[in-house]
Amino acid sequence: MPSPNERRFSRRQFLGRAAGAAVAVPTLSAILAACAKPGQLPPGVTQLLPARQDRPVTLPLYGREPIATDAPLEEGSTLQVYNWDSYLYKHTLKEFTAKYGVNIEYTTFNNMEEGIQKISTGQIKPDVFFTDIDKINKLVMAKLLQPLNHDLIPNLVKNVWPVYQNPFYDQHWRYTVPYVTWTTGVGYRRDHIDDDEVAAKGYDILWDPQYKGKVSIYDDYRTALGMALLKNGIYDLNTGSDANLKLAADDLVRLLDATNARVSINASYSAFPADEIWLSQAWSGDMVGDQYYLPKGVPTSVLGYWYPKQRNGEVNNDTMVIPTSAQHPVAAHTFINFMLDKKYAFENFADWVGYQPPQNSINPSELIADGVVPKTIPEAVVRQDDFKKGHLLLELNRDTDQLWFDAWDQVTSGG
Amino acid sequence: MASAVQEPAAPAAPPEPKRSKASATEESGVWYPKWYWPSFASPATIWLAIFFILPLYVVLSVAFGTSDPIFGAPLPVYEPWYWSTSSLTHVLGRFFGAAAFWQPALLRTFVFVFLASLLCLLIGFPVAYYVARYGGKHKGIYLLLLVAPFWISYLMRIFAWQSLLTSDGFVNYVLRILHIAPTPIDWLSGKPITVILSLVYGYIPYLILPVYAGIDRMNVSLLEAGRDLGASPWQTFRRVTLPQSKQAILAGLVIVSLPMFGDYYTNDLMGSPKTSMFGNLIDKTITQQGQGPRAGSLVLILMVILLIPMAYYLRSTRRAAEGIG
Amino acid sequence: MSDVALEGQVTRPQERSAGFGGWLRNPWRKPWFLAGFTWAYLAWSILPVLIAIAFSFNAGRSRSVWQGFSMRWWTGDPNDALFHDPALRQAIVQSLRLSFITMIIAVPLGTMFAIALDRWHGRPARTANFGMLFSFVMPEIILGVSLYLLFTNLFKNLVHLGTGAQLLGLITFQLSYPVIIVRARLLTIGPEYEEAAMDLGAKPGQALRRVLLPLLFPAIFASFAITFADTIDDFVTVNYLASTAATQPLSVKIYSAARGSPTPAVNAAATFMLISTLMAIGVGFLIYRVFSRGQRTGEGAGVTDFVNA
Repeated sequence: MPSPNERRFSRRQFLGRAAGAAVAVPTLSAILAACAKPGQLPPGVTQLLPARQDRPVTLPLYGREPIATDAPLEEGSTLQVYNWDSYLYKHTLKEFTAKYGVNIEYTTFNNMEEGIQKISTGQIKPDVFFTDIDKINKLVMAKLLQPLNHDLIPNLVKNVWPVYQNPFYDQHWRYTVPYVTWTTGVGYRRDHIDDDEVAAKGYDILWDPQYKGKVSIYDDYRTALGMALLKNGIYDLNTGSDANLKLAADDLVRLLDATNARVSINASYSAFPADEIWLSQAWSGDMVGDQYYLPKGVPTSVLGYWYPKQRNGEVNNDTMVIPTSAQHPVAAHTFINFMLDKKYAFENFADWVGYQPPQNSINPSELIADGVVPKTIPEAVVRQDDFKKGHLLLELNRDTDQLWFDAWDQVTSGG
Repeated sequence: MASAVQEPAAPAAPPEPKRSKASATEESGVWYPKWYWPSFASPATIWLAIFFILPLYVVLSVAFGTSDPIFGAPLPVYEPWYWSTSSLTHVLGRFFGAAAFWQPALLRTFVFVFLASLLCLLIGFPVAYYVARYGGKHKGIYLLLLVAPFWISYLMRIFAWQSLLTSDGFVNYVLRILHIAPTPIDWLSGKPITVILSLVYGYIPYLILPVYAGIDRMNVSLLEAGRDLGASPWQTFRRVTLPQSKQAILAGLVIVSLPMFGDYYTNDLMGSPKTSMFGNLIDKTITQQGQGPRAGSLVLILMVILLIPMAYYLRSTRRAAEGIG
Repeated sequence: MSDVALEGQVTRPQERSAGFGGWLRNPWRKPWFLAGFTWAYLAWSILPVLIAIAFSFNAGRSRSVWQGFSMRWWTGDPNDALFHDPALRQAIVQSLRLSFITMIIAVPLGTMFAIALDRWHGRPARTANFGMLFSFVMPEIILGVSLYLLFTNLFKNLVHLGTGAQLLGLITFQLSYPVIIVRARLLTIGPEYEEAAMDLGAKPGQALRRVLLPLLFPAIFASFAITFADTIDDFVTVNYLASTAATQPLSVKIYSAARGSPTPAVNAAATFMLISTLMAIGVGFLIYRVFSRGQRTGEGAGVTDFVNA
């Protein structure tokens, strides 16, 4: 068993890993400080407020600089890409290797917490990491990310929606670039359910007892409760209000009672195309991707997707970042720039992932005309002003997060 | 044991043979050196200490610890004097407090385990009895079929039932043919009866084998004596068989009910969140971020609940082992 | 025996054995009800599995409606078939790897422990025994979660989640099986054989190796077979201690698929697991027959003996 000093030491490492700097042996006072109150922020780090669209966050640099622009590309090396499973087209990765002479090793994580934990313990040293908006503050406070060199990523200004040059969660895009965007709506089987019925009922159709046994919602506390909030006209998806959460939780309990809804993370692309589920809370990217999951002989016209007409449902994007521990930072910048290139971003989207990148060159009407998005699900296309009209699930502070967990617990424990 | 007969004043043991050093320890009974057996046991003992006992201490440290301020990952606190009971109190509050929305799951678990264990006994005992007493020539075959479920794998067996219980499955088909249920019943939508019967199906082999072993070991001549004395089968059963097999029955019940308390997969596969059991609570919290201390507290509570039946089982096995050896 | 002594308690034999009531009370009647009940139980126990095996050969996607015979889920379908899906193939490899290694480590460790517990007396022995039995009755989720917390906190720099962690967890969980099986056998053997050997001049190590161990072979092989079967089936511990998709054995894949939207390929995977288990048991049984040739007495030996070991 490690000695007491070593144990506390490794915890401090976890909390305060600095870019490339050798971790110094903690002084006696530091040890005593750590002894006295376990679970404190590392020195020099102040708590960042959760980012909101009306309360943007400028992430601190903690005195660090991005890498130099003239640093040489690490040719012949192997770039470590760390991402969800099946979330990046392997063919696109091969094209990167062909173009730049840098190999790619694609490692996957099963959930975001696991991914972050492996990075923070040093078990994995990715060069490029794909993460959600609500994790950015935490990763920066833990000094796990390195600031980006904008000169090495010209494609962001050239190709990407302008809003991402100064997103509210990372002003002046110090650490992040966007990967893909999506909306969250209701997927439905058009061979069983009328378009008009869904258009009339919206979210309520998931509660309809006549579809008992054919409904599914996401096994994610924020997404599921968020939908219940929207259904009840509550548009603050980051609310800390007890009353609101109770309302949402009770409504979800009612949902489970009325339709015996399945609570699953993959129903929208496994049970739904297999025709076992007719109504599924769905991300737009899953809907677009479902055309590849349908069994042979089933036309894509069976896919239907509903999103509120005023486009004020749930919308979001995720990001690409470069961890501090990256071993090949120049190649990492090059890869990110490559993924923001309009040709490769489109190819990744249209041929594999189904989730739409925020590229200026992508014309929503062309997507449908070209058959990239099945014409029966036009609502699945994400438009630029969706982010103005829609609502995002963002980072919550500790106590609010606990309230959301409690509400979800209530729903999922049959209580 | 007070004996009317005087023990003859004979020497305690025959004189020790002329063996060399490092022998002659009465404890081991055979002439092995004193350090022999402990050294044999040490690899396994050390293994259990590191990978069984130590993790339980880590659970305590997590339950009474705190969370990392940035990511909410569990931060175990290994020094008992820094332990904080806030997480435990919070969890207990969810079971017994004002907003006790975990209480249904707790009560449900007790009810399910009780009913399932009872059914295991009611179904399993007659089977074990029949095979032990009347198996005869075919005992080998019976035993093979009784042990087969151990080899078939729990997953496959429950999965097989899942297929049978779908809306268009075999069970609904039969019920329709027999006009018992004209419309298909949705068995897999969170019905307590499905979960209870699935628990029975999954665990009953664990009860049948120890009970069988106990009955098998029973002294048959006692039964025959009972019959000879004119007792009916029922009387023989009640007054001879049952008391004799009590030990085996209780052992079987404990082997079956203890794991059931921690079962979460049966409900995952055959039920729904509506029929969540205690194991589901643990499973859900351990994977959620920021919930480490809660998960630790839940595991702690589960262990406390199981402490009494576990201690009972361990004591009775020790007594039984001492009884034989 | 006289009726006089039991008067007032028992009726006369002639009266008792008449009619239906007599049949009911006859202690030597054939137990038809029990027999029927037992066969009903056995059918209930085994038939669903046979049906599931059959459905792995279903021509359609359904697991519950028979649509004709086909090998598509085994080898036919280029995408979904068991042997064409690289993820499932990798899972099979992982399952076999975990089971073999666990088996080779847990059984010798457990056997040594069993022998020691049988001979060693005193407080420390009882504590060790207690610890082992404790690990036997504990629900697996407690073990899985506690090991998960161990490897992600205390040992987080020593052991990472993945195959190594899974092996450590599996061996811990399986350790009690060989101990219990071998100990049961030891109880029936007794110390006389070794004493005789040492009387004849053998050293303790020799007595152990050449006398006791051969006597224990049936129990040891039974332990190998049961540990293998139990490990292939395990999904609680390996799930918590898995890292990437590559470290998920077949049992975990079946479990995830069963919760999602399974095709008969899952039936095929489960059948495959069953076949490997049966093969392991079969091999163990054959080896047992070969090694215990000199010890078998009477017809009760064979399956009964093996099972009882």
